[in-house]
Amino acid sequence: MGDVMSEQSSKEGVLANPTRRTVLALGAAAASTVVTIRPALAQTVGSVMNCEIPVPGPEHSGQYIAADGSLVAPGTPGSFAPPARPITGEEAKTLLRGGLTPNGMDSQSAQAYANYIRRLQSGMSGFTCYASLQLPR
Amino acid sequence: MRHALNVAIGPVAFRVGSPWKAPVAALAGLYADYPAPADAVCDFTVRLEPEKPWRRWLRPSVAIHGDYMLPDAAPLSLAHGLLAAEMGMNLQMALGQKRFLLLHAATVERGGRAVILTGESGAGKSTLAALLGERGWRLMGDEFALLDCESGLLHPFPRAISLKNGSIAVMRKVAGEGRFGPVLEGTPKGTIRHLKPRADAVARMTEPARPALILFPRFGSERAMRPVGQSEVFVRLTQASTNYVALALRGFEALSHLVGACPAVAIDYPDTDTAISLVEELFRELPQ
Amino acid sequence: MAGPIYIADDQGAVRAVQLDGLTALFHAPSGMTHLVAPPAPQILDALRQGPADARTLLARISAVYEIEEGSAEAIEARLDELEAAGLVRRA
Repeated sequence: MGDVMSEQSSKEGVLANPTRRTVLALGAAAASTVVTIRPALAQTVGSVMNCEIPVPGPEHSGQYIAADGSLVAPGTPGSFAPPARPITGEEAKTLLRGGLTPNGMDSQSAQAYANYIRRLQSGMSGFTCYASLQLPR
Repeated sequence: MRHALNVAIGPVAFRVGSPWKAPVAALAGLYADYPAPADAVCDFTVRLEPEKPWRRWLRPSVAIHGDYMLPDAAPLSLAHGLLAAEMGMNLQMALGQKRFLLLHAATVERGGRAVILTGESGAGKSTLAALLGERGWRLMGDEFALLDCESGLLHPFPRAISLKNGSIAVMRKVAGEGRFGPVLEGTPKGTIRHLKPRADAVARMTEPARPALILFPRFGSERAMRPVGQSEVFVRLTQASTNYVALALRGFEALSHLVGACPAVAIDYPDTDTAISLVEELFRELPQ
Repeated sequence: MAGPIYIADDQGAVRAVQLDGLTALFHAPSGMTHLVAPPAPQILDALRQGPADARTLLARISAVYEIEEGSAEAIEARLDELEAAGLVRRA
């Protein structure tokens, strides 16, 4: 089976357009491709003393990303492999050597990724913990 | 200011003063082994002052003032003056620090390479970092990671570690009573005690390290690890920075360089021993 | 009927770093940072060839990339986003 496949693909290689261009998806009209880093404005209620920064932890485990950036069950139609998923110790070695990052992400999954990233911003950044000095009077 | 302390913590020199003796004395106790700043002029000044003149004696109320201040910040009771001093130093760094990109993270170092532990506060990063500090790692800081925009190195900022409630008991098992500050009860966060970093961490506080690994620790689940993509790390770190925006291009370059240079992994663990083993395993597997 | 003409700042005004899948951009005139997904960087590149409307940009991009179901409308939506972010402006 493997031999047949490689024979076929080498045939395809000869026949394929040698200057095949990269496919670029323009995105659905409603999709978003720009995530702007927002400085802190909001207050954190009840985060006091030592700058309790509500940086969300990577909460999802094994879920996939839908086009709008929300997390869905793996295999949901139209969803993409997540930037974070459970890995074994062996994979950790590969990861730490620069593998396992989503190289060659196509434009559609990149757009979903951008939407996912946008949701990570709670509209605040570390500065707001200093609003936390406003203890209840 | 009638009572004042000059103290160097890593590359930053603070002057903390007050008309009250107690908070300055408590701070001096906590930082007794730290050097006085080399220069007479300190980088930042904190003043712990009565909100109104009569509040110096009547239900003493400590307002946090200094080079940088937050308007309307609520004052603390004199009993919590030590906390006010620590918060005051935090505030100066958050609002005034220009040389370093500040990240809310703990950092530990071994062999010249540093691990950044970042993520949700209250998730136990300080305790994990403190424990790593007792297990052969050098604690560079539990609150702020200082990333030098020119060199890309992390500089130590080993403040006293603020432990809350249950974490106090955890660390009391591994660190002697002499390393703890006073018990502060009735704070909005419950009971707090400060832990002095180990002597070697203090002695080496001018020694920077190359960042090598970024971890997002999360307590309370089965042992697991997940890679975190560079764009995701970039955004999470801007959320964890107090001065990313103020640093403009320098901040952008420092952060994008950090993200490009360090792998990032989210780790889940049910207990601290598992956490420590995860950190050790990942650090061991880093390319040399 | 041609749509509005857009202009992008020249290359010197924007610092770009490729992260995984997305491009991080520092826009010096505004001091703001954005992370952008394709086709945003490609649109910005195409605009740097000279001010253009959506239809012209589609043509410029199609010359380099394979566009499936491309439309000037989709390009316009991307241009709206880039304009809101301050990365492009109308002539």
